[in-house]
Amino acid sequence: MPIYHPRLTTIDLKETKRYAGLSNKTDFSENLLAEACTRAQLLVTPKGIWNIYAYDQDTHTIMAPNPLVLSANNVIRHLHGSVEVAVMAVTIGLTLEQEVSNLFLQNQYTLGMLLDAAGTTAVEAACDVICNVIDQHAARSGLTAGRRFSPGYGGWSIDIQPDILDLASGGAIGLSVTASKMLVPRKSVTAIVGLYPYQQMLNIPEHQELSCDKCGHSGCHARKESNNND
Amino acid sequence: MINIFDGAMGTMLHQAGLKPGQCPEIWNIEQPEKVTAIHRQYIEAGANIIETNTFGANRIKLKHYGLETKVAAINAAGVAVARQAAKGYGKVAGSVGPTGKFIAPLGDLNFDTAYEVFYEQISALDKAGVDYIIIETIIDIQEMRAALLAAKAATRQPIICQLSFGADGRTVTGTDPRTAATTLSAMGASVIGANCSLGPAQLLPVIEILARSCSLPISVQPNAGMPELINGQTVFPMAADEMASWVPKLAAAGATYIGGCCGTTPLHIKAIRQEADKLKFQPEYQSHAVTALTSRTRTVYLGPQFAPVIIGERINPTGRKALAADIKAGNFVTVKKEALAQIKAGAGVLDVNMGVPGIDQATTMKQAIDELATLVDVPLAIDTTDPAALEAGLKAYPGRALINSVTAESERLESFLPLAKKYGAAVLCLPLSDSGVPTTAVERIKIAKQIINIATEHGLNRHDLLLDALVMTVATDAKAAAETLLTLKLYREQLGCPAVMGLSNVSFGLPRRDLMNATFCAMALAAGLDAPILNPFDPLMQDIWSAAAALGGHDSQAVAYSKKHVALPAQEVSNTIPDDILAQIRQTVINGETTGVAPLIRQALAENFTPLTITEQALTAAMNEVGKAFGQGRCFLPQVLLAAETMRTAFDTIKEVLPAHTAQSLGSVILATVKGDIHDLGKNIVAALLENNGFTVIDLGKDVSPETIVAATREHKPHIVGLCALMTTTLPQIDITIAALKAAGFTGKTIVGGAVLTENYARQAGADAYAANGVDAVNIAKQLIEC
Repeated sequence: MPIYHPRLTTIDLKETKRYAGLSNKTDFSENLLAEACTRAQLLVTPKGIWNIYAYDQDTHTIMAPNPLVLSANNVIRHLHGSVEVAVMAVTIGLTLEQEVSNLFLQNQYTLGMLLDAAGTTAVEAACDVICNVIDQHAARSGLTAGRRFSPGYGGWSIDIQPDILDLASGGAIGLSVTASKMLVPRKSVTAIVGLYPYQQMLNIPEHQELSCDKCGHSGCHARKESNNND
Repeated sequence: MINIFDGAMGTMLHQAGLKPGQCPEIWNIEQPEKVTAIHRQYIEAGANIIETNTFGANRIKLKHYGLETKVAAINAAGVAVARQAAKGYGKVAGSVGPTGKFIAPLGDLNFDTAYEVFYEQISALDKAGVDYIIIETIIDIQEMRAALLAAKAATRQPIICQLSFGADGRTVTGTDPRTAATTLSAMGASVIGANCSLGPAQLLPVIEILARSCSLPISVQPNAGMPELINGQTVFPMAADEMASWVPKLAAAGATYIGGCCGTTPLHIKAIRQEADKLKFQPEYQSHAVTALTSRTRTVYLGPQFAPVIIGERINPTGRKALAADIKAGNFVTVKKEALAQIKAGAGVLDVNMGVPGIDQATTMKQAIDELATLVDVPLAIDTTDPAALEAGLKAYPGRALINSVTAESERLESFLPLAKKYGAAVLCLPLSDSGVPTTAVERIKIAKQIINIATEHGLNRHDLLLDALVMTVATDAKAAAETLLTLKLYREQLGCPAVMGLSNVSFGLPRRDLMNATFCAMALAAGLDAPILNPFDPLMQDIWSAAAALGGHDSQAVAYSKKHVALPAQEVSNTIPDDILAQIRQTVINGETTGVAPLIRQALAENFTPLTITEQALTAAMNEVGKAFGQGRCFLPQVLLAAETMRTAFDTIKEVLPAHTAQSLGSVILATVKGDIHDLGKNIVAALLENNGFTVIDLGKDVSPETIVAATREHKPHIVGLCALMTTTLPQIDITIAALKAAGFTGKTIVGGAVLTENYARQAGADAYAANGVDAVNIAKQLIEC
């Protein structure tokens, strides 16, 4: 159950712009975006935690002390070929979302919205750091980490959220799940990462897809396009 | 000669019968003959340094097996069995591996606890008689620092420090080989190297950089290639001969200690020995008399051959009441904000001063260093007169800090120099003595030499020291600046240490201090200043800086200078400024110029336009235009919100100028994010847009039950109820709430929206309308009210 607090020495402005729903081609104030990124950097307290379990591909079972059988086809497909899985939970804490609410109360809607987008950028960046640590760990056993896959991605029901959070030991970094399966603090992520034998990974091109390609929300303004036509 | 380590121990133990899940180190006591046999195989293969089977024999790791009370016994036994195998044919290195935890603030392990854990193990190894301590497979520089400090306290034997680097050339926590070498050599490591994670091919560039970055011997213990999982087994594919073929390259890169990590066997070591014996070379350790500071992830060099570095001075509560109050309250947001802003303004090092009266400076300095070291990549200078605060800061800092500053006063020398040596910090020397401030350059040189001599006696080198030239006020002493400039010149000519100094004293009491400071900065740079301590936000100083960098040859072809100062072509103004004041207001709202709208509103009111006219013909018209542009994909939500903010400023200005004026409400709307849904950003956006389009909004917030919404409709009798749901799990609450409203006899209209909602869902739930976004919500609300 390693706990890691990722360092975020920058918050990516371009990603923040994307999460704010701004097209690459708009001439929206870079200063406002930069201010949101800097504010976010001051307000986030990134934390991540993960556990690694054996994965039985035949029965789609995460071999935890309380084994979890996966039933959703999308995640089963995603984990095809993996022999272990890392189950992770990441948060940037409560402070940023409180500040977003404060900004709306102070009628600073734009900064509030951009700060929210910067918070999303931050939690995604924190996830990337955790995935990198997991990948380096896996490499020692001859394994390669695939893309992370979260409850809610590509139609994987978020009803599984409590089980995934439990497998990740997310409570140890202050995460909980509401009755409607939402993570608290809100700017948090749980995910499952397949750990594949290196050669096997090479034979599974679907793992190279962008995570957005697997998501059903094709109208999402923050969607990453496979073919960027900038 | 090349020293040859042994190879993998774990692989050999498993071959000898160690079961998965069994503690490898307990075999030192329970199966000593098997461990000795493995050591002997490596000795026979040609290793002249064998590593004890104590890699995981620290209290934290042994606790997994319930063996945490046996640290001393297991380590002593590990040394004994290795000694028995070595028997005069080789030396024994006490192996110290990681704790498996990250040290705070990156993880939950306290630095002092890590130190104690390492001290306990290394003391046991030392008492049992090892020839070296080898700290290996460490992935975090802070854990290595804790282990190295513990090793220096526990043993007089040479200490080998080996980090594990990833394929990106950095450790897991981001340290590159250059930074690792600079930090660890300054702290007193005897040998620096890399082991595990990568094979020889991948470690070759790491070794080259390590060797180029310090004067110490370099060690390398690669894996036998990159591991692969085959049939459930981790396999290291590199054969002995292939691995040995890398020996000449690794030696040429600078490695004089070579061995193997995961997957290497006695056969590999034998082949490595044979290849090493063919080499005819004498190791030459290059002199690295260069002054450098490091953060966890970056090295900053100082000296005449490098670009000047700005040391940001703003993290200092002296004379700044608000900052002092924040620090005293344990609130570091302002400190962090200052740090980010200074780096953006060009600071390459940040000075950290926590000098607030009445606080525990040591605790505060530790907190500040923890906060800043996780936020920024630039090195820090610890600025304090309190030795306890200095030590707390140096301990917490995951790099080579600068100590600002040490004078020739005996008390300061005796308390600060040992700390600099212990933690591997660089020292800014201030030529002040017990007898006061020397006024001439000659006197300053004399005192600086005294400090250098004493620092050398404490084990520091020239490249650990920076010299301050002392800046006095030119308003009280006409020669003050000239003496400082001469001091800089003499420092460079006679002492060779980089020169650092604060600039702003020179202009004290004079007008246009910015001009005086900037001019002095330019003159000082020419005289030999390498790193001024200054306020990086001073625009004149920034201009001087970019010009000086270009003139000094540190900005190739003056690219950075040109980029900063090139005259931008006059921007074409696509929209000519309209003469009509209402049109001007309309354009200002469309542009989202929140600060520009208030004067225009005042002007319009002064020109006797009524609030109603301004609202309808300028503000509402602008929002309609923005809404239309949004619908056509010509502008985006943040721009709509900026326009809304501008509109609110306009309304507030009307109310301020004409307090009696109250705008006519278009209608009232209750908004709520439904029960179970804790994300209300979208609802907040809708509320903002509705309000600024003339609706009265009663916002019930998030996670609102149907009962509360029904009760609110009874109380406020709104025209519309707007409901928001974002998750599939909360969608049913839309149906439940609409049913509850109908059951309660609510006769107004309902609008629903949210990320996973669709028009079809809205229809089946019985809503009157579905809004895909905030702008839609406003338009639909207007239509529903008109109905």
